[in-house]
Amino acid sequence: MSTGTASNRPRYAPLAPDPRARAHLLVTDHQDIAEAAFAPGIGLADFPERWDVVAHALVLPEPFGGPGVQHFRSASHLLALLRHRLAAETMGLRLYVTGSEPFVWDAARVAIEAGMGREEMRLFATGKPVRRVSCVHCRTINPGVTTTLVTCAGCGVVLTVRDHFSRVHNAWMGVQCDAEVPGEVPAIEDLSA
Amino acid sequence: MATRFKSDETFRDDYRYGNSDEGVLRFPFPFVEDSYMYSVNMEPHTRSATPGVFAAAFDVDEHYVTECAERARALALEPGRCMVLPHMRDAEWDTLELIMESLALDYPDQFTLERHGLDWTWTNRPLGIHQSFRFGDATTLPHPPFEYIVRQAQGDFTLQDQRDGTLYIDGGVATTPADWSLAFDVGMTFHEWHGPVPLAHQAGVFDRALQYLMRIRYGEPARRLNWTMTVHPRLDTSPENYPLWGPDRAGLTAENIGSQLFLRVELQSLFRLPRSNALLFGIRTYLASLDDLTRVPKWGRRLHRVMRDLHPDIAGYKGLTRYHDVLVAHLAQFDDGEPTTPGIAADIAVLPA
Repeated sequence: MSTGTASNRPRYAPLAPDPRARAHLLVTDHQDIAEAAFAPGIGLADFPERWDVVAHALVLPEPFGGPGVQHFRSASHLLALLRHRLAAETMGLRLYVTGSEPFVWDAARVAIEAGMGREEMRLFATGKPVRRVSCVHCRTINPGVTTTLVTCAGCGVVLTVRDHFSRVHNAWMGVQCDAEVPGEVPAIEDLSA
Repeated sequence: MATRFKSDETFRDDYRYGNSDEGVLRFPFPFVEDSYMYSVNMEPHTRSATPGVFAAAFDVDEHYVTECAERARALALEPGRCMVLPHMRDAEWDTLELIMESLALDYPDQFTLERHGLDWTWTNRPLGIHQSFRFGDATTLPHPPFEYIVRQAQGDFTLQDQRDGTLYIDGGVATTPADWSLAFDVGMTFHEWHGPVPLAHQAGVFDRALQYLMRIRYGEPARRLNWTMTVHPRLDTSPENYPLWGPDRAGLTAENIGSQLFLRVELQSLFRLPRSNALLFGIRTYLASLDDLTRVPKWGRRLHRVMRDLHPDIAGYKGLTRYHDVLVAHLAQFDDGEPTTPGIAADIAVLPA
């Protein structure tokens, strides 16, 4: 295993069905999955059971519905029923997760808590970079951060997002950017730049 | 020679701290040559025949009593600085056993461990502790076993669980961290918690270090030295409290840098634990001011050369950038251009007055 970069930024391999698996479940917090999420020659049709998020969906999703597409009202709705589904699962299921990075690691946490190992899940984050940032000083989680600086909703200091990601907390470390000299704030940059 | 423990030191607020001449001469100066770059600088942690920081498994020095008081203070203020995940219970008892056995073996005048089966009695004379307990029964100790023993040891410790072909940091105590957060890092793999370190990943340092660490065997501990710099003799340089200590970096001047800037050296040690197969990682921090260190002519020369030529990314990661120019200018007066001998030895037996 080689990281090859001065960062613990998660890196993702495009998704492809594991031929050794008994069953496959693909979950996403998007409605449309980017082609980039799949390995060459692989597409949606290779994942017969899919869960996605469609706001205001008027049909209740069936967590044990088998092949087909199930629509959930939100990522939180999906994760709650994923927890329910995985609690009843047996060996041989592979979970594939794609979508925003915070969603991907939320789903991974649900799978780990259900007893799945890292070999039983495949993750791929797509879309515009968005991060949860944990303020190391006051412990407030700041969701939806798309820039290198963010004002902490808990204590009000301007945090710089350190290149340090916790898969356990599903958060990046935020540290006060002007602690040494108050007001000495670096230029703000867009994470997708 | 019996160590005389200092009793009136503080590592926060008014910063009352100092090294005796013996303390300076035994300081683990970390630079083996006149330049510095990351490397897998591991070696067996065997007891040296001569006195010094390598003579014991867990070095106890003149700051022992005051550092234990600082740990108690830090844990009273922030109990989350010590945490162990539930699956590491065996590793907690392993740690207690290792530290008690080692201290009793290395310092029999100060520490005693009596065992009758699982009924143990521990005596810690410097801290005035006499504790009977049942090994394996946490209800017989005033703190959980890991916390109980690290409150009686200098330096931080982490517990690494070995699984999935890597090491997970699944517990520890961090009241003397050099800008890393136990609460944030807990549960991370080896590569994850080293993520922010520059240059070393590309050099393959962490890949090789991990392979080395996973092969450490029971009874064959390993060690390395690491370093950074801290303004004032402050042990708690946690990211949590960066707003408290960060401003000190902006307060260094040519006049005060010699007395206020401290070289902070970590004697890092790694022990395989027998029941849990976990690794205990000791991070023992030593502090010496530039004024202390430059009393040793070789160290003054070398410190100047290392700091002058330090890679800017390393200086940035270690937080030296803001005062780097002042530091190098200050150290230049101790560098007469003479060659230095290889290795870290002070090369003198007595400090110049």
